Amino acid sequence: MKTLIRAGWTLWLPVLLVTIWWFASANSTNIYVPSLSRIVEVLWRDISSGLLIDAARVSLTNLAVGLLIAAAVGILLGLLIGETRRLRLILDPYIHFFRSVPQSALVPLIIGAMGIGAAPKIYTVAFACVWPILLNTIDGVRGVEPTIRSVSRVFGVPKLLYFRRVVLPGAMPQVVAGLRVALPIGIVVMVVSELFASNQGLGFYILNSSATFQIPETWGGALMVGVIGYIIVIMFSLFERRVLSWYFRSGAL
Amino acid sequence: MTTTHTRAPSAETKAPRRSALLQRDWSLLAQRLGALGIILALWQAAVLTGLLPSITPTVPEVTLGLWTAVTSTSFWTALGQTLSAATAGWIISCVLGVFLGLLIGPLRWLDRSTSVTVEFGRAFPTIALMPVILLLLGATTSMQITMVVLSALWPVLVQSILGARRLDPGIADTVRIYRIPRLLWFRRVLLPSALPFVTTGVRIAASISILAAVGIEVLTQVPGIGRMITLAQEAQRWDLAFAYLFFAGLFGWTVTALLARAESSLLAWNRQASG
Repeated sequence: MKTLIRAGWTLWLPVLLVTIWWFASANSTNIYVPSLSRIVEVLWRDISSGLLIDAARVSLTNLAVGLLIAAAVGILLGLLIGETRRLRLILDPYIHFFRSVPQSALVPLIIGAMGIGAAPKIYTVAFACVWPILLNTIDGVRGVEPTIRSVSRVFGVPKLLYFRRVVLPGAMPQVVAGLRVALPIGIVVMVVSELFASNQGLGFYILNSSATFQIPETWGGALMVGVIGYIIVIMFSLFERRVLSWYFRSGAL
Repeated sequence: MTTTHTRAPSAETKAPRRSALLQRDWSLLAQRLGALGIILALWQAAVLTGLLPSITPTVPEVTLGLWTAVTSTSFWTALGQTLSAATAGWIISCVLGVFLGLLIGPLRWLDRSTSVTVEFGRAFPTIALMPVILLLLGATTSMQITMVVLSALWPVLVQSILGARRLDPGIADTVRIYRIPRLLWFRRVLLPSALPFVTTGVRIAASISILAAVGIEVLTQVPGIGRMITLAQEAQRWDLAFAYLFFAGLFGWTVTALLARAESSLLAWNRQASG
């Protein structure tokens, strides 16, 4: 009963908004604002025919590979730069500069140079996502307790073991925070790169339908991307709570 | 939240003697320039050996492109267009976000009722709506500003809600008992207490505004620096495209740095109070 009341409290507004949309758009005469029922109908048609599922698979694969590359490069370099004070001081302005480049501006350059296949999209996502991960990993490494650091040194802990068992876990909360920042950037860059030029994926579905004036499909594709983005972010926060349960339990926040 | 990556750097320099500090600054600068030289040399080598795609311009070409860009009026016009659209959207987002956030945050029932909607809005990749908004409003500046607001509103809203939520219950009780007027309470209690969170949201919103404004220009016919990049790429002027990209980065970097400085001076009292 208690959970039911709570669900009611949290869900009444979204339900109300969707209901208003449903009825307000039902008799829409504006061809650019199709009725919600029509959008849902089209969405269902293209999901059950597998068209949208395939598109989502293409987009999400690009996103995942790009993010994995960004995470691998960002964490490795971050551990290295964070541990070496000199390197950090020297490279700091450059890293901040690359972090500040509006990621969407990269899209025409990388896609123009490498064509419209999957690889340039993966590179663009990776390039856009690597900087927040890198910066956060550096911050995390710097935050490792100095005492722990000197104890490891005094006991002559081998370098590799030291990185794997001391620095990496110590920096983990910050690393995960970096991934959390990178994730929405990656989704945006994925969508922009597909809207810019593509022949498959969710962005292509949207682009293609708007170019051929299939307006309900355009709305449907946009909603689909939004819902997928929302699900990814929610799943990530669940993953974060799991991976960092020791950190949240320690009350360090 | 996206606050964690922007934690203030720990006080690391231990205030050595002035001359030593100056000397170290100079040697650090020299090393940074050296690193820049190495980066550029690697780039040049990668282009010459064919490691990068053949169209990648060489370092001298990009340097020339930078000069061409700075001396052309069209570049400055484009930069101004991007800046004004991003700023307009940013200001609207900030006003709207702070207002709604401070309204929602202190009221528990409203906070609970809006949480799913706000979460959804924040996680929604707004850029996906671009084709729809484009159909409705056309490739105009108002479309661009609408898109910027739809993207940048959420961090301000979320941070304002968080800031307002964190109001000390003791203070809230005191305010109620003394019947502090609503407006005074808002101005002197709620706003200062939420400010550290709000400023973070405002700062994140600024970089999102630039990102969204440039992204819209890249994808549509809306004029601005992003459009210039696309046009240069279509005309195969890679040197110019890289130069514009560089300036877009410089622009983003300047805005971030200025806001970080403004934030730390605005919140000096807070840092002292909390040690």
